[in-house]
Amino acid sequence: MVDIEFKRDRIVIRYKEKKWDWMLEPRYWRNSIIWTSMLLIFPVFAFFVSPGLINTMITANIYAAIAIPLALMTIGTGRMNFGPNFFIGIGGYTAALLSIAYGWGPLATLPFAIILTILAALIFSPLVVVARGLYYVLLTLLLPLVFLEVTFIYSNIFKGDVGLFGIKLLVDMGNAKLNFLTVAYISTGIMLLYLLVVNKILKSRYGLIMATINDDEEVAHGIGININKVKILAFVFPAGMIGVMGWFLAHYFGTFAGITYLPLTFMLKILLVLIIGGRAQVFGCVIGGYFVAFLEMILIRTMGPIQPVVFPIILLILLFVLPEGLFGIYRKRRYREYLPTLHVRR
Amino acid sequence: MWSYIQLILIYTFILGSIYLLVSLGFSIICGVLRIFHLGYAYIFPLTIYGTWMFMQELGWGLIPAILGMVVIQFIISYLIYKGMIKRYLEKEEILLTALLLVSLIVEQAANYRYPIQAGVYLKTSLIEGTTQIGVVVIPTQLVIGAFIALILTALFVLFFIKTKTGLAVRALSQDIYSSKIIGINVETLYIFTMMIVLVPVIISMLVVAPVWAVEPGMGWLYMTIAILVSVLGGLGNIKGTIIASFLIGLTHAIMCFVVGEPRFMNLSALVLVMIILIIRPQGIARSEALW
Amino acid sequence: MTELLKVRNITKSFGGLTALNNVSFDVHKGETVGFIGPNGAGKTTMVNVLSGYMYADSGEIVMDGVVITKMKPYQRANLGLSRTYQIPRPFPELTALNSVVTSAMCGKKRKNQSLEDAGYEATHYLEFVGLFSRRNILASDLTFYELRMLELARALATTPKLLFIDEVMAGLNPGEANKAVHLITRAKEEFGISIFWIEHVMAVLMDAADRIVAIDHGEKLAEGTPEEVTSNEKVIEAYLGSGWRTYA
Repeated sequence: MVDIEFKRDRIVIRYKEKKWDWMLEPRYWRNSIIWTSMLLIFPVFAFFVSPGLINTMITANIYAAIAIPLALMTIGTGRMNFGPNFFIGIGGYTAALLSIAYGWGPLATLPFAIILTILAALIFSPLVVVARGLYYVLLTLLLPLVFLEVTFIYSNIFKGDVGLFGIKLLVDMGNAKLNFLTVAYISTGIMLLYLLVVNKILKSRYGLIMATINDDEEVAHGIGININKVKILAFVFPAGMIGVMGWFLAHYFGTFAGITYLPLTFMLKILLVLIIGGRAQVFGCVIGGYFVAFLEMILIRTMGPIQPVVFPIILLILLFVLPEGLFGIYRKRRYREYLPTLHVRR
Repeated sequence: MWSYIQLILIYTFILGSIYLLVSLGFSIICGVLRIFHLGYAYIFPLTIYGTWMFMQELGWGLIPAILGMVVIQFIISYLIYKGMIKRYLEKEEILLTALLLVSLIVEQAANYRYPIQAGVYLKTSLIEGTTQIGVVVIPTQLVIGAFIALILTALFVLFFIKTKTGLAVRALSQDIYSSKIIGINVETLYIFTMMIVLVPVIISMLVVAPVWAVEPGMGWLYMTIAILVSVLGGLGNIKGTIIASFLIGLTHAIMCFVVGEPRFMNLSALVLVMIILIIRPQGIARSEALW
Repeated sequence: MTELLKVRNITKSFGGLTALNNVSFDVHKGETVGFIGPNGAGKTTMVNVLSGYMYADSGEIVMDGVVITKMKPYQRANLGLSRTYQIPRPFPELTALNSVVTSAMCGKKRKNQSLEDAGYEATHYLEFVGLFSRRNILASDLTFYELRMLELARALATTPKLLFIDEVMAGLNPGEANKAVHLITRAKEEFGISIFWIEHVMAVLMDAADRIVAIDHGEKLAEGTPEEVTSNEKVIEAYLGSGWRTYA
């Protein structure tokens, strides 16, 4: 059915009447190989030097793995989503409640977490078609806050005040340090997979279609693009990816509390990873994630209780001085790699 | 039954007027600058903790401390306009993120210096004690606050209708480019708008400070109400804002006293907003004008 | 000659104003049909109704045997309708090549076409309108004439059967306009398309069009060869006013 053909410089994939060319250009692989191997060596290095760094690395991977789908969602729907943590909440609570109620392991809860997140995203997907500009910002901003309120109202189910305990751990090797090492590799794996998938999508024809929708929805409609389908897909698919991170968080810590992930502070961190990293460039998300996680760790270790004040101040200054984000220092952005504007009625 | 109606009527009036005071500024900024001032949440804690800071650290009296706080509010508002809003008016994602960060910074700073245990209490009550209206007993402070709110709103409306500056602001809210062409100084008016919207917020905070709880994270509580009210009212229409704030007040009053579940207050208000947005997608007031 | 587009009794009104009233006409295969009328006659409304941005209140549009009256714009584009805009509307953040690539991919459904294949195809259309040397420039940096040409390339790249051209002359100087008109006539022959050409200036259509439909105030005034239409009393009246004879 799916026909794969290897040619000298490309892999040609055919399915029914569709065709994809996957160009293989080994001369461009050097940087990717260097950075990937550094990411893979780092946990082992930290394992012997300072195990605490592994923890920070996992946090960084989580930030990056939430920001990467958010970049895809932002570019694909042409709107800035201010509530990605809503999907973390859905995925995390699904995994946590199932694991506690039936004693299921992480692999058993994963499909349910994905399915429920996608269902939730489908229910709210009319938003991306109907709501524009400020209304979309507002509604997405309020969604996680409402969900948080729900967890407090139905405290007997969600345990909004104390959090859910007793979720099966992601891995259990019997040794805490080994556990951390394995989780670090799993998180790096997820992050790299997301990076590959999202980068491939943005470079493919669908990325091009998303760019046209961002630029001018009406004309995009006129040249034969079903914009509603593209927008809903670009909303639902990344939402599922973010939901997986909720599942990961629940099983990684063994506890899940909405109050940690649903308030604005967590959302703001993800948003800053996206913007400081490189204004929705996918590679920038990784840099931003590592930067924010390590900055936070260093500040907590050196500053003490004033850290919550200093951390946002530093990020605010960075927001001002880096117009193209951290990745922009290394490389100027190209077309198709930008945050869509919000288009307020003006 | 009669007592329920009394409760609902009086609390709708009181809550509605105070919500009106809280959300008037947000709504006006929405209408004139056409941005979502997500940093609006910082004004609330800054009012309380700024005054408290002057009283505590410098040993000033209440009135000088309030004046000092007002000056600081104006300065910060000016800096936010010059540094952020003017610079990033076209790049809204940066603007909204930066404004959110500002409110976070103020909140965290207040939390760092005066944590919730520090017992911040501003004695700004004009009249002590409670008033009984029918079967309802409420703090007199809130009744006075409600009347202040109505008077202040009336002043705002009069200002926008009767004065030249008000007319210019209304023109500006319709279209920037045309306003520039006919000779309106857009920037001055923007700064002016940023300044006047501080007034109702500061007054509302000073009024409710002795009666309602004060904590560093209080900004978002009022901010949520302000967002709901201004969306319900149609993003920047004063008529709509007035109706919407009383509607939200009514919902809260019903939730508290008839259903008896204060936990559902914000959720029910949000559901109301969603329903109204589905029926009338542009909010209660269907016009984009300020008044 | 077979009919490509059949328009029957289209009526469209905005509130109390009737922009189109019972307009009917046909476009045959391989034909250039001019569509003229003074300002506010309802020309642009007609294109919007035909390309799907507005729906007609009543009437029927049939394209190649398919009723498209209630179809969405993208479905019509997939069937082989394409249009240009009166004011060029490029994708400002895309390069010239990429915007043509998108429409080559998305227009008519094509089998076995990857992104790279679409790139090869798009180059041809860019060459045709003479923008090949500007292919890697962002659309926001192109000149007005180049934007018009880019728009034409984008419309042609969807491989339409019928191309709507909305006032190609507006904003061009005589030399550029001449080039544009020649290009459109050439495109008609080379790509085997039919053209529905809306124009305010009648002189352009005199040579290019096979048939002309004239409307005013939403009503069809005349239909026929350019000579017939230009000598029609009603058309002259619509352009010059009812008392033209006294000053002629």
